[in-house]
Amino acid sequence: DIIPFFHRMYLQLTLVLSISLGIIQAVDRSNFKTCEQSAFCSRQRALRPGQSSYRALLDTLELSDSRLTLQLLNNNNKVRLLLELYRLQGNITRVKINELKPIKPRYEVPDVLITDPPTEPMSVVAQDERGVVLSLGGVDRRLYVNAQPFRLDIMEGPKLVLSINSRGLLAFEQLRMRKDTNDQKDTEEAGKKEDTEKIEDKASEGEEQEMEVDQPGMWEETFKSHVDSKPNGPSSISLDFSLPGVEHVYGIPEHADSLRLKNTDGGDPYRLYNLDVFQYELFNPMALYGAVPVLLSHNTHRTTGLFWLNAAETWVDISSGQVGLCGRTDGSGEVPQTDVRWISESGIIDVFIMLGPRPADVFSQYASLTGTQAFPPLSSLAYHQSRWNYNDQEDVAAVDRGFDEHDIPYDFIWLDIEHTDGKRYFTWDKNNFPQPKDMLQGLMDKRRKMVTIVDPHIKVDSSYKIHSEIRSRGYYVKNKDGGDYEGWCWPGNAGYPDFTNPEMRTWWASMFAYDQYEGSMENLYTWNDMNEPSVFNGPEVTMLKDALHGPWEHRDVHNLYGLYVQMATAEGQIRRSGGLERPFVLSRSFFAGSQRYGAVWTGDNSAEWGHLKMSIPMCLSLGLVGISFCGADVGGFFKTPGTELLVRWYQAGAYQPFFRAHAHLDTPRREPWLFGPDNTALIREAVRQRYALLPYWYLQFYQAHRTGQPVMRPLWVEYPEDVTTFTIDDGYLIGRDLLVHPVTDEGSRGVTVYLPGNGEVWYDVHTFQRHDGALHLHIPVTMSTIPVFQRGGSIICRKNRIRRSSSCMENDPFTLYVALDPQGNAEGELYVDDGHTFKHETDRQFIHRRLRFTSNTLSSSDLSPDSQFPTASWVEKVVILGAQEPKAVTLTSSGGGESSVEFEFDPVTLVLTLRKPDVNAGVDWTLQLQ
Amino acid sequence: MHCPILIAVVIWSSCVDSQKIRGISLSYKRFYRERKSFLCIDGSKLIPFDQVNDDYCDCADGSDEPGTAACPDGRFYCTNLGYRPHYIPSSRVNDAICDCCDASDEYNSHTACQNTCRNLGQRERAEVKSQMRALDQGLRLKQQLIEEGVLTWRDKQAQLRDLQRVLDDLQTQLDDLRKEDARRKKEVDALRELEIGALETEENSHRSHIMNESPVSIFYELDSNRDGRLSAKEVRAKLTDIQDGERVLSEDEAVIRGRVPGRLVKGEPVLKAAVSAAEKAAAELKKVEDAYETVYMEIRDLREKLATDYGPEREFLFLYNQCFQLKVHEYFYELCPFNQVTQTSASGAEVSLGKWGSWAGSPQHRYSQMKYENGEPCWQGPTRNTVVTLTCGTETALRSVKEPGKCQYVAEFQTPVACRPALRQQGVHSEL
Repeated sequence: DIIPFFHRMYLQLTLVLSISLGIIQAVDRSNFKTCEQSAFCSRQRALRPGQSSYRALLDTLELSDSRLTLQLLNNNNKVRLLLELYRLQGNITRVKINELKPIKPRYEVPDVLITDPPTEPMSVVAQDERGVVLSLGGVDRRLYVNAQPFRLDIMEGPKLVLSINSRGLLAFEQLRMRKDTNDQKDTEEAGKKEDTEKIEDKASEGEEQEMEVDQPGMWEETFKSHVDSKPNGPSSISLDFSLPGVEHVYGIPEHADSLRLKNTDGGDPYRLYNLDVFQYELFNPMALYGAVPVLLSHNTHRTTGLFWLNAAETWVDISSGQVGLCGRTDGSGEVPQTDVRWISESGIIDVFIMLGPRPADVFSQYASLTGTQAFPPLSSLAYHQSRWNYNDQEDVAAVDRGFDEHDIPYDFIWLDIEHTDGKRYFTWDKNNFPQPKDMLQGLMDKRRKMVTIVDPHIKVDSSYKIHSEIRSRGYYVKNKDGGDYEGWCWPGNAGYPDFTNPEMRTWWASMFAYDQYEGSMENLYTWNDMNEPSVFNGPEVTMLKDALHGPWEHRDVHNLYGLYVQMATAEGQIRRSGGLERPFVLSRSFFAGSQRYGAVWTGDNSAEWGHLKMSIPMCLSLGLVGISFCGADVGGFFKTPGTELLVRWYQAGAYQPFFRAHAHLDTPRREPWLFGPDNTALIREAVRQRYALLPYWYLQFYQAHRTGQPVMRPLWVEYPEDVTTFTIDDGYLIGRDLLVHPVTDEGSRGVTVYLPGNGEVWYDVHTFQRHDGALHLHIPVTMSTIPVFQRGGSIICRKNRIRRSSSCMENDPFTLYVALDPQGNAEGELYVDDGHTFKHETDRQFIHRRLRFTSNTLSSSDLSPDSQFPTASWVEKVVILGAQEPKAVTLTSSGGGESSVEFEFDPVTLVLTLRKPDVNAGVDWTLQLQ
Repeated sequence: MHCPILIAVVIWSSCVDSQKIRGISLSYKRFYRERKSFLCIDGSKLIPFDQVNDDYCDCADGSDEPGTAACPDGRFYCTNLGYRPHYIPSSRVNDAICDCCDASDEYNSHTACQNTCRNLGQRERAEVKSQMRALDQGLRLKQQLIEEGVLTWRDKQAQLRDLQRVLDDLQTQLDDLRKEDARRKKEVDALRELEIGALETEENSHRSHIMNESPVSIFYELDSNRDGRLSAKEVRAKLTDIQDGERVLSEDEAVIRGRVPGRLVKGEPVLKAAVSAAEKAAAELKKVEDAYETVYMEIRDLREKLATDYGPEREFLFLYNQCFQLKVHEYFYELCPFNQVTQTSASGAEVSLGKWGSWAGSPQHRYSQMKYENGEPCWQGPTRNTVVTLTCGTETALRSVKEPGKCQYVAEFQTPVACRPALRQQGVHSEL
């Protein structure tokens, strides 16, 4: 029994968060800051658009081969900034602004960029007293540096692509000495009086250096009894970007909001500050568990991206409207424009402008900076069964048995915090999990796997090895006075390892070795939760900003903490296998670059229809900024889903990248077979559809890993000129070829699906019915309907023999679904490897083939002749959609000669089925239709 | 590798017919007689016979591939010689997991499955044998418990009748006493009326009057039962005022002291006597009323308990008033059948996991499960409840308590009365 403990835990949590018992329906907003309550945001936002106080000092211009530097002078306080401009490979411009001479270094985010981005030569095209024009390559890409006021314009031919500081919101709070050095705080009265005097001084001094005015919250800030000591004083930065011709902007996850970002005028900006938000609310800009400071803008002819590389608390204001353009463009009338303003609490301005122009280009550009999605083990793309908590080994065995009894496949079963000995991670509860290896072996016998939770808060208990080692090695985050920082979390009093320290990460990784993590085996993987970090008694349920990570304040590194936890954990899994096996680590918190380390999920959602709907834009937004391996708790974490909602969530989740059912401790059990045979059958069917499509999912992840293209894509990514697609976030694409529009309304009798593509056709994957593109299609639905369409012109490989787990399907044959376009062509790919090692990379052990149907011939050719992988899989069936009846079908395979293939043709549905071509999946072959 | 499979298939099919019918039971053999063609069992399609078990699904009902994993919802028959034959989903054929104890499901995977049917069969037979013994013994014990139950039932019925008689008696007494009480009260009221009149005139001389009171009147005052003698009890009752501290008068003392005029005496002796008599009558009434209430409640409880469903033969009656304990790690569980389930933690805090609700087994086996409901409420959730599953055994004991879902407990309670002769046919274990 765990009730009394959790009662206690929750009571503590409740007291800490000041939430009321029993009637909590949604987030308690008062626990989290508004921009107004965040001193730097409020200070920065008080600055209104206008003429910039900065001017570029052109005489300081220095241009090396790849780097231009220039000083910027603040006319008001005479503080100088250093501007650095780089032209990076792949049509990216990097703009860095730091203080020219800061009194101490300002934080620059490490470990996010995969390398020092390679540059390309830049040249001055023109220069006069008004500014400089630089060539950014191409025929006519130019960067204009306007001297006074300071402003940057990126032009392509006569077209202005983007302006920086055109609204004059560059604001850089330079580091300064505290003026009241006697450390006695002035009374507010005195402070005010002083301020007034200074303002008068300024007026009289005219061009003289302005005395800095201390504003409240600059040197200390209090939020709900939590004091932030701010020993470094104010340090915030801000910059604005104008995007002419842009009405649609996306990205900057994580927010529970629509895919298209909203105007923030008159409300709070979108906030990026990793927080553990209890029962989060939908449709608002509040910060959630992760932060990726990347914003995409899109219109019919261009997609661009802004990557604001800063890990401190950040707010993003978005303002769209119509403006009259003047200056360098033709100036004809009103055009739409979106203005974006970034505000961060500390660090420097370091922004990457990714100039596209196509969506795919922006994804490649961003991938060239932060890397691509980790290629996950195939099994991690299958179904995951989780709950807080599976209580003991017998419970795990019973759930495992339940799946077999009901013939529902699954690959992973998950253990939440209760599996540990008193929330001491890397340990097992002695009563409930006395023989973890027996349990893991039992799963291994069924070719299944397990995940245990390992959180980054470490119980302060001298008899706990992990704690005493971290303490003795000095690896804990320190409080401002130098002692080990401690906060409350699941185990009670806990320390937080300093994951920003590479030594600490190496040590942490070593704890996953089989001889360190007792009871672990190779089919045990990891889940990092609470890594925002969550601190129950901390400000906004996280760490004090003046806590120290080596020389840096938590303020500087906050949004990076979760990334580092997942990084170190993934590294541990790789190392325990001697570098052979791919890791699988799920993380709740993330930052730019987290895609390199595993999967993320949308945190503690609720069993509500709105949350089911929201899972789509949330994962789409993450996909746009590189994080493809995303999912939401199927069924909803908090509260209890009705049966219809649960079934619909399984159907939706089966078509999202990370497919895991999870539930809160206080909710009744909801294993798939607990809702009557009809619902069991519906859930079984949804899960089976997932398993059949695993070859396609795996191929998508291989592509994402190689190219950085998202797996789950908004329609506009593939149809960038179709404005209808720009706001769609209830339907989406998996890769290019599958369009999914899950049913997310209670009692739904039909859905309206937008099928894009003028002149294209789409095939219902269940009925094979053909529909024209560029149309809204109303389709009636029943409880068994999952609206999914295959693009005409594509070939998708499935494995239709659904077994207990994905590993059991390893050698099974493929069925090829060839969906012809109106011209009678189709194309697709097949990727096969061992599913779990790095040998695809290290030894080039994989099969990557092109499948093409053209001129009545279907052929398989090698896309990677220098790689090889022996597979037992073969082609058992080919289903051609939109076909004509052939007279005969002949198979030619390399080394196999010619043979005739039986077929069946349905003249009503135009489906041609080729029976058992029986050719190995790894060889060249052609199927000729006569 | 696929090619070796094909070769193997060719070799097999040329040698033995049985290859073609891998995965079917004897009773299905008639559908698979070697002919030129094969009719899918659902009659939907006619295919060449060599497409049976050729690892491609032709029939919608999966009947052409009983021995391969080709059809989505097919089933494979494990002959399991030496053990019991059974079907597995055909998706478990050649998945590198040994499902049939005769290893027949893994004829083409790299997994080396051992034939374990003989061992399993032996073990199962031994197990069944011992379970049968236990069942027989359980059924005998059950018979005894049923007989005991019959006796208990009769006892209880007799007890109920007795109690009813007592209640009737008490009712009669009550009627009399209520009349007596009313009469006495009336008498006192009347006397008090008179006294008030008298007191008003004698008010000032009242104190000396008391002082001059004759010993006789004092005697009457003390002799509350009017038997002409003063008992220690009577004196003690009246003398509480003059007792010093906690000291209690001895019998002698009381008698002596009783004779001494004291300040306790007040009012006119007739009134005193009347008051005293009224008080006595009221006390007597109260006593009988209490007794009535007690007996009434006892009858109600007993009726309620007798109204509980103790099974078709009242075989569960013997559990009445019994409790069974079990310690699971740091928790101590107690099941009191037809009453409640509780959990006590190491710190001593007791939590109700539910009060007796109803029998909750399936319609065929209503008495195989008990439901206890409305225990202590959970945080942000419903009240705790417990489902107790009754299993057949020779002892009566609480075997396990678990909490698979928050605040939803399941317990196993073993008792001979859960033994049913039908279990003999089922081989005791339902999963076997």
